[in-house]
Amino acid sequence: MGEDIDKRDPAVRETIAGRFNRMIPHNQAIGLQVADVAGERIRTTLAYRADFLGDPEAGLWHTAIGTTAADSTCGLAVFLAISGLESVATIDLRMDYLRPAVAGRALEIEAECYHVTQCVAFAEATLHQGDRERPTARCTAAFMRTGRSVLA
Amino acid sequence: MSARGERVRAAVAAADYARLIAAIPYAGYLGIGVEHDGEARRYRMPYRDELIGNARKSALHGGTVAGFLELAMQLDVLIAEAQPRLPYAIDFAIDYWRSAGPHDCIADCRLIRSGRRLAQVQAECWQQSRDTPVAFARADFLLRAFDDDDTTPAPGD
Repeated sequence: MGEDIDKRDPAVRETIAGRFNRMIPHNQAIGLQVADVAGERIRTTLAYRADFLGDPEAGLWHTAIGTTAADSTCGLAVFLAISGLESVATIDLRMDYLRPAVAGRALEIEAECYHVTQCVAFAEATLHQGDRERPTARCTAAFMRTGRSVLA
Repeated sequence: MSARGERVRAAVAAADYARLIAAIPYAGYLGIGVEHDGEARRYRMPYRDELIGNARKSALHGGTVAGFLELAMQLDVLIAEAQPRLPYAIDFAIDYWRSAGPHDCIADCRLIRSGRRLAQVQAECWQQSRDTPVAFARADFLLRAFDDDDTTPAPGD
């Protein structure tokens, strides 16, 4: 892949999605999977693990693991929305925890890059457990376009 | 009080932080520890390869720094307010100031305000030098009275 890649090409998007996780050891460690990158709104899935619980007695995920997944998913949405192979870095990120995620069920993360400027990209994500009308969390984040290639 | 609430309160009272961390699986996964720097509590996330987000640059995944700071603030409220259960996070925000390298992360927390129902906290994360912090975070937590610690937190439901 070079700087002239067409990120609207479904095959290119799939290739990027595959490389995305291989290049990020922590995403591999937690098992974050890219589920759908066909449209502007992309989706990843984080399978349930007992390690991710905050309150084992009540059977609730810890909220903070959703932050990691949201950061990664927003980052991928941004990378797919800008041209070339320019890398991005999170400037800031905010989470609103709307309701707890329950044990035993996966977490779905849907993210979209909704605005790009010359230097910055803005993204938002919704986290849910299968019913997007009942989100567990919302995320907004800003990313710096570094001007450097991800391969540099 | 629930059996868990009793255990958590006993662990806080005895400053048995290892037992406290053991009651929170995700804190255990990140390997978080509580330390003392004089009077102040300090939190540590030891480096390990699994926390890397950018293998080319050996930079920690920003999400792990965020998760660490949220847990540090949550633990700080839990300990300072002797809560029977983990305070429920309402929201969380982080500013990334520098890339975090392949080293331990240390967090200093500041409990800004703690009322009857709400605690507001800030935290700074640094690695090898306190003069070059890598991130700043803030969060709000819902507190629980001891007599209602058996109710499952469910804001929004």
